[in-house]
Amino acid sequence: MATTPSNMKGFYKLKKNKSGITKPTSSKKSSLHLVPSLGSDITQLTALISHGSPDLKDYHDNHEELMRQFDINMAYGPCLGMSRLARWERAQRLGLNPPIGFEGLLKAEKVRSECWWDGRI
Amino acid sequence: MAGMEIDTVENLQRKQSTYQSLDETFVIQNETYRGQQYSQIYFARLHMMRTLLYSLVTHWKPHVPVCTVLGLEEGKECIIVGTLYKHMKLKPCILDEYSKERSAVPLVKHHNFMHPDDHLVLEDESGRVKLGGTVLSPSVYVTGVVVALHGKETGAGDFMVLDVLEAGLAPQIEPQLKSREDKYVVFISGVSAGSSLSNPLQFQLLVDHITGHLGDEKEQGIAAEIVHVVIAGNSVEIPLGLLNGQNLASKDQSRLSEPVQELDILLTQIAAGVPVDIMPGSNDPANFSLPQQPLNRWLFPGSRAYNTFRSCTNPHCFELDGVRILGTSGQNIDDLKKYSEGRDGLEFMERTLKWRHLAPTTPNTLGCYPFTDRDPFLIESCPHVYFVGNQDKYGTRILKGSEGQLVRLISIPKFCNTGMVVVLNLRNLECHALSFETQFSS
Repeated sequence: MATTPSNMKGFYKLKKNKSGITKPTSSKKSSLHLVPSLGSDITQLTALISHGSPDLKDYHDNHEELMRQFDINMAYGPCLGMSRLARWERAQRLGLNPPIGFEGLLKAEKVRSECWWDGRI
Repeated sequence: MAGMEIDTVENLQRKQSTYQSLDETFVIQNETYRGQQYSQIYFARLHMMRTLLYSLVTHWKPHVPVCTVLGLEEGKECIIVGTLYKHMKLKPCILDEYSKERSAVPLVKHHNFMHPDDHLVLEDESGRVKLGGTVLSPSVYVTGVVVALHGKETGAGDFMVLDVLEAGLAPQIEPQLKSREDKYVVFISGVSAGSSLSNPLQFQLLVDHITGHLGDEKEQGIAAEIVHVVIAGNSVEIPLGLLNGQNLASKDQSRLSEPVQELDILLTQIAAGVPVDIMPGSNDPANFSLPQQPLNRWLFPGSRAYNTFRSCTNPHCFELDGVRILGTSGQNIDDLKKYSEGRDGLEFMERTLKWRHLAPTTPNTLGCYPFTDRDPFLIESCPHVYFVGNQDKYGTRILKGSEGQLVRLISIPKFCNTGMVVVLNLRNLECHALSFETQFSS
């Protein structure tokens, strides 16, 4: 169910080439070797805002957006029920080569430790 | 006092063997439950098996392209790797309780849920596809097995299977020191102390034989060659009738603990003489889901004084003189019997080794802990001996792998029903049964 609040444009600033759920362009993010994830399109956006209470802080954080890409990426397995760091470590151990920078971000606590859907599903 | 002649008896020394426990992967110690579902363990299983199968596929059919389920194109031959799901009409489903047409649901048979209409589906992260063709028989496979399939998508959207590749037996490490003398391991299961079926005299006879209190010097010499005893589950039968939600009277409370006390008395006698490993089974006071954690040592106040007494997990894996022995108390094979068809217990055991997974039906129909980072039931190194306890009858055979692996399969019968234990010779992996009878023919 997608209840779109009236101030949708306000709390989710659609930035060209940098909005939360779009395929990352290689020119901007090549340094972090992001992998385009399955199904990253407008339907993901609807699911994100359906919970009703906007989390304004996260949206403006580039790091959080990167972590959300990591959450969605199917290659690293399901994200629910595991902390992001545990999932990163599992990906590392299984030889999936997750982006190295993420470990630093998670350990320095610059992003949420749980996946985006934790507590919302 | 002079005049008493004492026979000069050489003190018989029991033979020794080096023991190494390999149970770390089955012990639940650092895991914390954070609300995860079983998708995590299925992902770990699929990933590990798929990496392995991809490497095998290049030798199997090098010219056929590999793709994901979502990448299937109609009519194009390719290889897909994924987890099998068997759709079973008769499999009990919680939703049947809410079904309005109660009478249409057939009565559930306890022993087997198979039906001719069962069909297989292959699933990976991208999607699932129904499997067709006659190569893959639904009666052989169960949900949770990871395989590689060669075939093509039909117009109807099914995947017509032309060939199947299982992982096969895992690589086996040769034991470095080949023992030159006979050393025996005794496997028991289903002692069921405290049940009406069990005969305490039979178990006492077994204990006396193992500890050398039975027979003449020759027989004691044989007993001295027993280096290890493994008790594979269902060692007690707690009177469950007492646990009906009512407060227990004090005399009932002692009745509840009597079977374990009886077992401890006999275990102490064994542990005093020979190393013994005890594994939990489906009836024992341990956790329900696999891997079952070791029985609490405080249940055995007598035996725990001995360092030869070891309480182990189920499944249990250890090495004796370099010989790798792996086994369970029977839940994995019993579950396969309910959801697939086979000649005997040994055939199911062979399948689990070839699928490289001890219990493929976990967590679907067999309870297991929701691991997130690994699937502990994957068999990474092929054992030399593979045993399963609490089976209906004794059976054994040698399984040969495609790369020279040799595995001794042992199906251990329930002791309370058959009075039989299994004795394995570590030198040549030969196996025989030992029976204890207490009936006296008049």
